[in-house]
Amino acid sequence: MKASKLWFEKQQWKPHSFQREAWKSIAAGNSGLLNAPTGYGKTFAIWFGVLQHYLDQKKKPAGLHCLWITPLRALSKEILNAAEQVSHDLDLTYTIGLRTGDTTLAERAKQKKKMPQGLITTPESVHLMMAQKGYADVFKNLQFVVVDEWHELLGSKRGVQIELALSRLRAINPNLKVWGISATIGNMEEAKEILLGAEHEKGVMIRANIKKKIVVETVLPDELEKLPWAGHLGLRLVDKVLPIIHANNSTLLFTNTRFQAETWYRHLLQTDPSLAGVLALHHGSLGEETRQWVENALHEGRLKAVVCTSSLDLGVDFRPVDTVIQVGSPKGIARFMQRAGRSGHQPGATSRIYFVPTHSLEIIEGSAMRYAIENNKMESRIPFIRSFDVLVQYLVTLAVSDGFEPKQIYQEIIKTHCFNSVTEEEFNWCLQFITKGGKSLYAYDEFHKVVVENGIYKVTSRKIAMQHRLSMGTIVSSTMLTVKFVSGKYLGSIEEWFISRLKPGDVFWFAGRNLELVRVKDMTAQVRPSKSKNGIIPSWEGGKMPLSSQLAAMIRERLNEYHEGTGKDKELKFLAPLLEEQKKRSILPDKNELLIEKIKTREGCHVFVYPFEGRYVHEGMAAIMANRIAMFKPITFSIAMNDYGFELLSDQDIPIEDAIDSDLFSSRHLTDDVAKSMNTTEMARRRFRDIAAISGLVFTGFPGKQIKTKHLQASSKLFFSVFEDYEKDNLLLKECYDELYDFQLEIVRLRNVFERIEKQNIILKYPERFSPFSFPIFTERWREKFSNEDIEARVMKIKAQIEKD
Amino acid sequence: MEFKEEDIINNMQLKLLNTIVELLPEKAIFLPETNTLVVADIHFGKTMHFRKNGISIPPQSAERDYMRLNALIEKKQPQRIIVLGDLFHSTHNSEWNLFCEFVAYRSGIRFMLIIGNHDILDRRHYQKLCLEIVEHSLELQDLILSHEPLKKVPVGMVNVAGHIHPGFVLQGRGRQNIKLPCFYSLPNQLIMPAFGSLTGLHILERTMDSDVYVVANDKVIEV
Repeated sequence: MKASKLWFEKQQWKPHSFQREAWKSIAAGNSGLLNAPTGYGKTFAIWFGVLQHYLDQKKKPAGLHCLWITPLRALSKEILNAAEQVSHDLDLTYTIGLRTGDTTLAERAKQKKKMPQGLITTPESVHLMMAQKGYADVFKNLQFVVVDEWHELLGSKRGVQIELALSRLRAINPNLKVWGISATIGNMEEAKEILLGAEHEKGVMIRANIKKKIVVETVLPDELEKLPWAGHLGLRLVDKVLPIIHANNSTLLFTNTRFQAETWYRHLLQTDPSLAGVLALHHGSLGEETRQWVENALHEGRLKAVVCTSSLDLGVDFRPVDTVIQVGSPKGIARFMQRAGRSGHQPGATSRIYFVPTHSLEIIEGSAMRYAIENNKMESRIPFIRSFDVLVQYLVTLAVSDGFEPKQIYQEIIKTHCFNSVTEEEFNWCLQFITKGGKSLYAYDEFHKVVVENGIYKVTSRKIAMQHRLSMGTIVSSTMLTVKFVSGKYLGSIEEWFISRLKPGDVFWFAGRNLELVRVKDMTAQVRPSKSKNGIIPSWEGGKMPLSSQLAAMIRERLNEYHEGTGKDKELKFLAPLLEEQKKRSILPDKNELLIEKIKTREGCHVFVYPFEGRYVHEGMAAIMANRIAMFKPITFSIAMNDYGFELLSDQDIPIEDAIDSDLFSSRHLTDDVAKSMNTTEMARRRFRDIAAISGLVFTGFPGKQIKTKHLQASSKLFFSVFEDYEKDNLLLKECYDELYDFQLEIVRLRNVFERIEKQNIILKYPERFSPFSFPIFTERWREKFSNEDIEARVMKIKAQIEKD
Repeated sequence: MEFKEEDIINNMQLKLLNTIVELLPEKAIFLPETNTLVVADIHFGKTMHFRKNGISIPPQSAERDYMRLNALIEKKQPQRIIVLGDLFHSTHNSEWNLFCEFVAYRSGIRFMLIIGNHDILDRRHYQKLCLEIVEHSLELQDLILSHEPLKKVPVGMVNVAGHIHPGFVLQGRGRQNIKLPCFYSLPNQLIMPAFGSLTGLHILERTMDSDVYVVANDKVIEV
C-alpha cells in the first residue's frame, strides 16, 4: 500500500484531489509547480510524492535524497515536525534534518559525516553548503529539490540564489526533479518557467481549486469628521478596534512599520489597561527569544491580540487566531490577502479582515480591496534578471569550496532565467572582477580574491575564504546594535543610527517598554527600565512601499463609480461628504480627467497633481514635470508625494499653464527625461550599497564587530563614484541603474501613466484652500528637491529673503 | 600685489585687525602680505586608514584632494603653506609616501604644520620631509593660528582655527534649504572649513556677533 494512503487512513483524513494529482505526477517522474493556499495540506501533497519515490527504489542510494528549501526558518521547523511525524507514524527509516542559520556547529559536523535523507533548509544555507569542500559529493545522489513559498522568493535576489543553486545541482545530477509550491500570483506560468529552467515545458502545473472565503470590513468612525484628512497612524480609531479584539478569540493587528506597531501597542495598553499580559508585540527588530515566546503564546491561545508587522506575514499558522486587523493601506492585494489568510484556518472557514484607515480618503481602499479580492486581481512578482552581484558572489562561493572551471559554469548559468542573456564577454568581466578587481581596482590586493591554477578558479587565502563565508547572502540589513539590560537580559536589536542620535539618559520606547539609555559599549546599547511616561519611538528605515498598480487601478475605478453614482459600498456612502467637499473646493475628477490644483500661500506656489499611481511613479512623474517646467525659467522645487498624488512647491510662480500647453505630459523622450530630471546618479548611488555588499566590494564585518552603516554607505558610494568616473561599463554599475529603473522608478508603469494621461482631459483648478486631496500631500514631511538654478543664485535669493523678513 | 579680476570677484577679502585675509572658495585662506596659504583639516591618509580597518574605499578618491591642493598652489604661488592641523588622518600608511612625493616636488615652498588631534605620526616622519612643526599655535601678523579654536584669544589678536569642519544651512521660502561648508567668523576668531573632501560638516547656527561666509561652488558669499 502507498505510504500516503496508509497515513491518511490512520489520520482518518481524506486527501484533496490536488494532493492525489501531485502524488501521481511525482510518481510519473515529473517536475512542476503546485499552486495551493496554506492550510490545506500542500506540504503533504509534495512530501508523500517524494517519500513514495524513495520507498519505491529497489536499491536505496546513501546520502541526501531531498532538499526542501523554505524562505523562513520558522517554517522549516514546522515542516520538520510534520515530516518526522510521518516517518515516525509509518515506522520509516527516512531521516530528516534541519540546516539553517541556527543549526549548531556540532549538528553540522554530524550532518557532514552522515547526511539525512531529507534536509530542510534556506536558500542561504544551500549556498553555504556549496562553499564547503567536497560539496558535490554531498549532493551526488540528490533526487528532489522542493522550493516552498516560491512566490515569496521569486521577486527577490534570494530567488536568483535558488536559480543558481539549481543550475549547479542539475549539473551534478541531471535527473534531478524540482517542485515548487506557490500561492496565487499574477504571473503563475512565469514562476513555473523560472523554477524549472530550460526544461519547464515538460513541467506540470497543479492547481488546487480551493477558494478561501474572505470578508473585508472597513472600520469606520461614528462620524467622518473624527478621522483627520492627513495621517499615518490611525490611532483615532482605537475605540473602534478594542471591541473587535474583545469580541474575538485571538487577533493579529498588522501595521506597516515597526514604528507604527510600537505606537499602537503602547496606545492600546494605555487606552485599555485590562489588555496587559494578553497583548503582545512582534516585529523584526525584537529578539528571537521574544518573538519565539510570542509565537508560542499565540499557538497556545494565551494571547488576546498581537500587534505585528510583516514579521508575521509568513510562517506557521496559529490555530487560535480568528481575526485579522490591518491598520493603514496594505499597499497591495496579495499582501492583504496573505494577511487575511492568517485567520480562519479550518478548511472552509471564512477569513475575516478588518481594515483601519489612517486618514479619511484612505477609507476608499477598503472598498477597492474588496473588489480586487472578488475579482482575483493579484499582483505579479517581477523576477530579477542579470543580477551580477549575486553571480559574482556565487562564483567566489564555488572558488572557495572546490574551485570551478569557467566554461562549465558559464554553460550552467545561461540556462537560468536570470542569466540567460549573459554573454561570454560579460561572464569574462565577472572572472576579471573576482581575480583582478576589474579595470579600476586592479592595484589592490584585497580584490584579487580568486586565483587561477591549471584553468581552475579557486580561493587559496584562508582569510578571503572566511570573509566570504561570513558575508554570503543577498539580504543586506543596516548595522544593528543589540539592546540589553545592564543586567544582561537581551531585548532585541535596533538600527545603529537611531541609537547614535541619543545621549545616555535619554528615554526611548522599544519592545513595548520605556527604556533609558545607560551607555553604548561595543555594539551593545545598555539600557535600564524608565518610569518616564514619554520616550521617543524609533522610526526605522523603510516602510515606504508604494501602492501596487492593481490596487491603484481599483481605487481609481471606485472613485469613478462614485462619480457615476453606481458605487454601492458603505465606504463610498460614508465618504460622500468628503468627496463632496472636494467637489466644492475643486472638482472630483472622473476617469477621463486628470486634476491639477494650483494654490498660492505664504510658503510659495503649490501645484498638486493626482494620478493615483503609487508614490514611486509619482516621484518619477514629479521630477519629469519639474524638469519640463524648468525649461521655461530657472526654478527650484520642493517635491512631496503620497500614493494618490504629488506636489511641486516653489518660492516663485510655477508656470503650469504654459507647461500644460506645451506637452507637459507627453510620453515622448520619457526615458531621456527621467535621466535628465532625476538625480538618477544620486538615487543609484544610494542603491549601490546592497550591490556593493552582495558582490563583496565592501565587507560588513565579523560577527559582533560590524562596520557602521554610515561607513558602509560612504565606502559603497565612493566605489560607485570611481566606477562612474573610470569604468562606465562596469556591470555592477549597470545592474544598479537597471534595478533603479525597473524597481524604483518603475519605468514601464511610468510610461503607461503618461500614455494614459495623453488621452485624458487636464483640468486645472485654483482652489482658495487646500482640498481633501491636496492636504495629506501638503503635510508630508519627506521631500525631494529639484533645482536647475545654480547654487550661487539660490544662496543670493535666500539671502535676499532673509533680509526682507 | 597684483590681483586677477576673477579673484576679486570670487574671493572674499576681509581685514582682520590690520591683516588682509582672502577667503578662497577652495576652502583655504590666503594672506597676500606674507604670501602665505593656510588650509585646515586635510585628512590625507583617511582612505588608507579606513581600508586598513576593513572599510573599503577606492583609492582614486584620495587623489582628488591632492589635485585640488595642487591647483590652489598653481593659482596662488605661495611661498609658505601652513596647515592648521589634521594633515594626516592616521598612523603611518602607504599614503604618507604619496604626500612626501608631493612635498618633495615643491621644494621652493615652506611647509608648516600645526599639530592637530589626528596628527599622531611619529615626529621623525615630519622631520624627514623638512616639515616645520608647531605644537600649539603660531603668531603671524595680527593672527594667531591654531588647530582647535583657542578658548582665550590674546588681546589684540584674531585666532584662525580649524578642527570644527563648520557648515551652514540656509533656509528659504518654499521649504528650500541648502547645506554648505562655511567660514565662520566671530569678533576675535575665524573658523575655517575643512579642506579634505572626505570630511563631514558640523552645522553651526548664526549668533548675534557671528558672520557666516558660505562656499557656493566657486564663490565665497557672505550670508
